[in-house]
Amino acid sequence: MATATRHGRDVYGATLTRRQFVKTGGALIVGFSLAGRSVLEQAAEAAASKNSLDPTLAGSWFEIHADNTILIRTGRVDFGQTTAHTAYKQIVAEELNVPFEAMTAVVMGDTDRTPDGGFSAGYLEYGGANLRKAAAYTYQALLDLASSTLRVDKSQLSVKDGVVSGGGKRISYGDLVRGQQLKLTIPVTGDLTSMFGLTVTGTPPMKPTSEYTIIGKSFPNAVTPSKVSAKEVWVTDVRLPNMLHGRVVHPKTLGSTLVSAGELNKTRYPNAQVVVKGSLVGVVAPTEWEAIGAAQQIAADTKWTEWQGLPGDAQLYTWLREQADWKTTPVSKSDKSRGEVAPALASASKTLSASYELPFMKHAPMGPTIAVADARTDGTVYIHTHNQNPQALRGQIAMMLGTSIDNVVVRIYAGPGHYGRSNGGNAGAEDEAVILSKALGRPVRVQWMRPDDLQWSTQSPPAIANIRIGWDADGKITAYQADHYMPAMQDDRLVGALIAGLPTPPPPDIRPQAGSIGSTVNGISDPWVYDLVPNVAESGYGTFQLGQKASPLSIGLRDHSMRTPGQLQQNYPRELAISEAAALAGIDAIEFRLRQTTDERLIGALKAVREASGWQTRPSPHPKAAASGGTPVSGQGISVMLRSGTYWACVCQVSVVPDTGTVKVDKYTIAVDPGIVVNPLQLKRTIEGGALMGLSHALYEEMTFDQSGVTSRDWRSYPILTMNDVPEIKVVILNHPEIGAYGGGSEAANALAVSAIAGAFLDATSKPARRLPLKAAYVQSVLKA
Amino acid sequence: MAGITLTVNGTRREVQAPGDTPLLYVLRNDLELSGPQFGCGLSQCGACSVLVDGKEARSCVLPVSRVAGKEVTTLEGLPARWAGQQALPASEADPALHPVQQAWIDEQVPQCGFCQNGMMIKATELLDEVPAPTVAQIKDAFMSGASPHLCRCGSYSAILDAVQRASILMAKGR
Repeated sequence: MATATRHGRDVYGATLTRRQFVKTGGALIVGFSLAGRSVLEQAAEAAASKNSLDPTLAGSWFEIHADNTILIRTGRVDFGQTTAHTAYKQIVAEELNVPFEAMTAVVMGDTDRTPDGGFSAGYLEYGGANLRKAAAYTYQALLDLASSTLRVDKSQLSVKDGVVSGGGKRISYGDLVRGQQLKLTIPVTGDLTSMFGLTVTGTPPMKPTSEYTIIGKSFPNAVTPSKVSAKEVWVTDVRLPNMLHGRVVHPKTLGSTLVSAGELNKTRYPNAQVVVKGSLVGVVAPTEWEAIGAAQQIAADTKWTEWQGLPGDAQLYTWLREQADWKTTPVSKSDKSRGEVAPALASASKTLSASYELPFMKHAPMGPTIAVADARTDGTVYIHTHNQNPQALRGQIAMMLGTSIDNVVVRIYAGPGHYGRSNGGNAGAEDEAVILSKALGRPVRVQWMRPDDLQWSTQSPPAIANIRIGWDADGKITAYQADHYMPAMQDDRLVGALIAGLPTPPPPDIRPQAGSIGSTVNGISDPWVYDLVPNVAESGYGTFQLGQKASPLSIGLRDHSMRTPGQLQQNYPRELAISEAAALAGIDAIEFRLRQTTDERLIGALKAVREASGWQTRPSPHPKAAASGGTPVSGQGISVMLRSGTYWACVCQVSVVPDTGTVKVDKYTIAVDPGIVVNPLQLKRTIEGGALMGLSHALYEEMTFDQSGVTSRDWRSYPILTMNDVPEIKVVILNHPEIGAYGGGSEAANALAVSAIAGAFLDATSKPARRLPLKAAYVQSVLKA
Repeated sequence: MAGITLTVNGTRREVQAPGDTPLLYVLRNDLELSGPQFGCGLSQCGACSVLVDGKEARSCVLPVSRVAGKEVTTLEGLPARWAGQQALPASEADPALHPVQQAWIDEQVPQCGFCQNGMMIKATELLDEVPAPTVAQIKDAFMSGASPHLCRCGSYSAILDAVQRASILMAKGR
């Protein structure tokens, strides 16, 4: 070890060593070390641990092989955005100057085979940035190697398609590493099992974005062929020797504890077994159908305490206004808050004051959560699952079992999209599978049934907002005040551990607790984009999750971030209120927005969507707007957003039949300016998907619940968008490479739909619908008011 | 527990399972076919769809005893089904992909991809009956059967593109 370090070479803060001669093959292997600690110290520590990547021996980020192929490792898990299989390869290929096709393998998520951890969201902002920097360090190391091998000064070298040339000589990366085992150690910081994982630090020189040739092209997703031809190994396909199928009988309510578990009918279910741990009742059997039947029989015979600690959906907004504690949690102020709003409102020529309401929504993956756990006699636990933050899950499972993370391995497979639900480590089945496997000493596969997945998972929290806007005679906003109210939305605790009474991190409290990033603080998540407004006051008020403190299980309605989290809840009231203000001012809704900003990228997106959508420039409401009648009336709405470095503007055209209360979206147009566009085709498909999820939020989605628990239990009681509702969709991609950065693209489109549809409803009917979703009964009540 | 004989993807298979076992569990656990997925177990989403004698059916609620003697086609069996319909000579009767699957790749349809088994099964059923469907006919097809076919990632518009592309590919093939 000391020898290796002594012979190491510094590469912009990374360390390159030539460890040993190997007989065949050869590789440049890129490892990592924590910033601020010596490589030696970290290496010695890592060598002593199990089931983690050893930074001195194992390839952590990349392996460059003698045959010129490259393997990429990322702790991020692709959930269908395709980023890990397309954009990540493009980013690495660009920095290394190799062809896209050289990247023949991507290892994702497995905790013992990937380096950085972190949640599967913000793919470009976090994971992409890590890979880009790691690749930049690697590129410099390769140049250094080539310089010494070719005996040509580094400054004379250039690289094309993985071949280094200079001074009349040339060598491929494969030949550079052939016969050697080279190790590059790069600096990182952070906590592996935290929400964010590790971050690559330092400032290696990176390729100027003006020289990009691979980023910006529409490469297909390498995983698609296996997924459409049934060759993919899905999480649902994992079978281990001696494995039992398990189902969990969840408590009667979100606060019920176990009185007595039912007795198994051994005549009907001869091979089944019941496992009880705390209030967790599990049923296992060698075949899945016997496990399902036995679980149903046990559920019918199990006795629970009663609990009624929730307001019920009919009382939700009243309860949030009158009962919830918004005072204990520190209030958040946006960094764009400025000026004096109260006098500006008082002196405005016109004002709007309105309240907006959003319901609980479910992530509702197409397949319920599933995990196969193998708790072995040597104390190690292997979990085969599908999760947005495998390292965080690993940390939580270790905590639940009172063991080191060295004893926990999480392996990741393809599965249904989670849309944020498991980005803190818990989808639901993982810990329950571990508890059952440990009790039985055999691998156990736990799959939730559809009602379990809707009733026992986390959900996107509800929100209310009070907005006040004042403007002058020229239609310039002089004051904007927003007070946003939302319960905590980041509860990462393992639900099975809570039911079983095993250790978990603390629930979200007024400040983040050790081992948890969740708090009740409601930050301002919707960046302010109207820079000409002189007086702005944006405040976020947070509170505890509904029923959580009162639940004997500490459960209640647990919340979790969902696609465009927090920002959806704040953008809908902001953008609808601004459309309402434009209507009251008698000014076209796009023109009204243009008057409030100097931001060229926002202006560009607004103008692009105006042109592409067939927008009619005129004040709202529509000249033929009507709040009654049996014939359809039509309207247009606009929304804008800045998220993760990307500017968005969206237009929806809708038709409403006032008497029946039906709302149909006819056309959805969106302009997106992410700066550098990494992969236009994949961006387009991801935006289309987000758009349709947004239509679903706007038209259908509302979790129902009574005083004891969630009553949405299947696709009939939690309907989502269907093929019949699909409008014409137009995606306008604005490529601005001169921005020099690539913004995110897999969120935002859903939230923009919600805000634009609400604006279009106002235009069509002249009445604002200030609550979601726009279901017939609610729409009729709005139009009759 | 009686032995049940069924034909899956052209091969006679005998399974030992209670007759009320839903076909899905037999396909996945006994026959190790991974195309059909468990989505709801309630016949409400379509992730588990298979063709039974050419008609789309929800395997999550269909007792295995009910398909005894019938022809079951899963996602795995689509390429051979296409070859059979084309009456290709035996030497060429092993296409890697059904045109529907090829179109799904060409159009980059899947996001997570979990529902796409049922979507491709439904598209195959439709294109067998209506070789050149209109957009309205495609939408109707995905609304038909035991329930609408659901996709949470919102790949519906990509599916509309892909079914039209598959229609063109199949017309060329014939």
